[in-house]
Amino acid sequence: MVHLKGVIKHFGTITALRGIDLELKRGCCLGVFGPNGAGKTTLLRILATLARPSAGTVRIAGYDAAKEGEQVRPLLGVLSHRTFLYGHLTAYENLQFYGRMFGLEKLAERITEVLQAVDLVTYAHQLVRTYSRGMQQRLAIARAILHYPKLLLLDEPYTGLDKHAVSRLHDLIVHLHAESCTIIMSTHDLHRGLDVCDEIAIQCRGKIVYRGLSLGTDVQEFEQLYSAYVR
Amino acid sequence: MPKWWTIMLFVMAFPFIYLCMNRVFHVTVMCITMNVAIMLVFIYAPTEKMQGIVQKIFYFHVSSAITMFFAFFLVCVASIMYLWKTSDWWDSIALSAAEIGVVFCTLVLITGPLWARPIWGTWWSWDPTLTLTLVLWLIYVAYLMLRIETYDPQRARFAAILGIIGFVDVPVIRWSVEKWRTLHPKPVLIQEGGTTGLTSAMLLTFLVCVGAFFLLFFYLLRERISVAQSRHALEVLRHEIDEICVG
Amino acid sequence: MSKNSNSCIALMSDSKIFLQQVLALLAKDLKTEWRTREIFTSMFVFAVLVVVVFNFAIGADTELIRQVASGVIWIALSFASVLGLQRTGQMEREEDSLQGVLLALHDRSALFVARMLAQMLYLLVVVICTLPLCGIWFRIDFIACIGGLCVVFALGMLGLSIVGTLFGMIALHTRACEVMLPMLFLPVSIPLTIAAVQATAQLIDGKSLRDIADYLVLIGIFDVVFFVLVLMVFDYIVEE
Repeated sequence: MVHLKGVIKHFGTITALRGIDLELKRGCCLGVFGPNGAGKTTLLRILATLARPSAGTVRIAGYDAAKEGEQVRPLLGVLSHRTFLYGHLTAYENLQFYGRMFGLEKLAERITEVLQAVDLVTYAHQLVRTYSRGMQQRLAIARAILHYPKLLLLDEPYTGLDKHAVSRLHDLIVHLHAESCTIIMSTHDLHRGLDVCDEIAIQCRGKIVYRGLSLGTDVQEFEQLYSAYVR
Repeated sequence: MPKWWTIMLFVMAFPFIYLCMNRVFHVTVMCITMNVAIMLVFIYAPTEKMQGIVQKIFYFHVSSAITMFFAFFLVCVASIMYLWKTSDWWDSIALSAAEIGVVFCTLVLITGPLWARPIWGTWWSWDPTLTLTLVLWLIYVAYLMLRIETYDPQRARFAAILGIIGFVDVPVIRWSVEKWRTLHPKPVLIQEGGTTGLTSAMLLTFLVCVGAFFLLFFYLLRERISVAQSRHALEVLRHEIDEICVG
Repeated sequence: MSKNSNSCIALMSDSKIFLQQVLALLAKDLKTEWRTREIFTSMFVFAVLVVVVFNFAIGADTELIRQVASGVIWIALSFASVLGLQRTGQMEREEDSLQGVLLALHDRSALFVARMLAQMLYLLVVVICTLPLCGIWFRIDFIACIGGLCVVFALGMLGLSIVGTLFGMIALHTRACEVMLPMLFLPVSIPLTIAAVQATAQLIDGKSLRDIADYLVLIGIFDVVFFVLVLMVFDYIVEE
């Protein structure tokens, strides 16, 4: 599903990624952990076609992300700590806009469906700028899954949410994973990350330094592993 | 059938360019040509009958103008190559050519009024080419400011876009300024005539002047490019050291 | 044969998607603007202010004011354009919603076309509101040459929108964007301003469209050249 080979990214004089090789099968959930500045956000942005790699190839579902971006983008759902929502429109109008952009059919039904999934139906016709941070993040998830994406990219999705919202989001991610959606998630929340992910990777200073299965790893073991690989 | 000396010049150009790759040779030839040019302008070239000694500014004014246009053309080419290849080297060429181009542009804007004042009686006569130069000065100064003000990753790319736009705008600006100029009354000539055509002595002086200015341009360009490259290499090293220290 | 028809279908559906996305973006921008009315209000008020201040600066000579009227109108439009673009940029920076749109775009130039059309519409509304006021203050009968004026204003505003949208997006990424936008926009749009002012002035003086044909050609060429140029480089602006 996802193949990265030798991906290098320069931002002027800074090198954010120094040769990433990554393979991910369909339906798998990968958790990417690492310190700040490791390049996790850059990696996700390159996967989302928001940035172009300076070298190397990125293939998603068989398409080259750099050259065939327009085939790749409808397959992706992206959730970041920025919500990508329009404050002066209602939740319904925001989803309607994205639905039209993706050319979805039976848009009204789909919007109601995703709003129910994130439990925002009662607030559907309120302006987004009146929402709390947790509600905005839930709407952002609704936006991300609106167009039935095959690959979900989550960049620190739990940031800034209270406990209630975090557990709700977590349940939703587990649900999506059960529906064979491929997920790549970068997070600092070790407990929840290990809970939902099949495989884990540790990224440090632009390289993936560890890659393995998460089955059976508990939090203490993982913390030891993490300290070993990240100096 | 082209004259024998144009063929000779063309043939000799290639080994000459090859020899100029050597910095010492380049500097020497440049200094010699500059001195020869100055001597030709003031001693050899005949004083123009109508305009008097003021006409001699023409040699420096037009040479600067030609160099300026070539510099901006180079910025456009380097910008296109940068967008295509994303190599720092092309970015350095674009930046250096733009800086030197602005310098020559300023020279044109200074020598122009100095020439116009005795001839036309006013400092600025909204002559189409001079107006074009003024607009280009504004555009390329904005180019340099854009480079200073943009955040690092996109700096070169946005500057490249402006570099291309600036040069493509030239014929459009030229055409519009000419049309606009036809409405503006020409200032009265204080001295009659204008240039009565270039004699062969003047032509020779002019060509040597242009040659000298081009040699100067290329010398400044190579020095500026090497500074830009060194600065870039320094930044890269600095980041690497930062990373090692943090780790 | 089937490969040709496949690529034909692909091309057709590409244009259909393009149109659909441009319309969706435009609808969203206009809906937001209708709710807040920030951009239009600031543009209109600023344009009127410029016209009034120029009026006072030039003095009470009606003949003189009549002669410079066309220049004053186009200066007011240029500056209002800059202001509108700055407000758009500011709103976008606050919401950072550009990335979300980029994720949904099939062909990225749809974003440019939609922004440009939105800017043109704002300018159009400003012109419709400002021109009657100018007619009253400058004592010019615009109705007599309304046909020609429509053509000149349409072409001119198209050019201002194209160049403005491009530099608006570039200036967003700079530190001193309030300064950079006019610095980039105004010199590059000088040929457009020259031709538009002359064409408008001659129309007011009673000339016909045929007389101002070469100005219209100049504006037209400016529009086409810049439109094509921006479409070619737009990908480089929005991607990292």
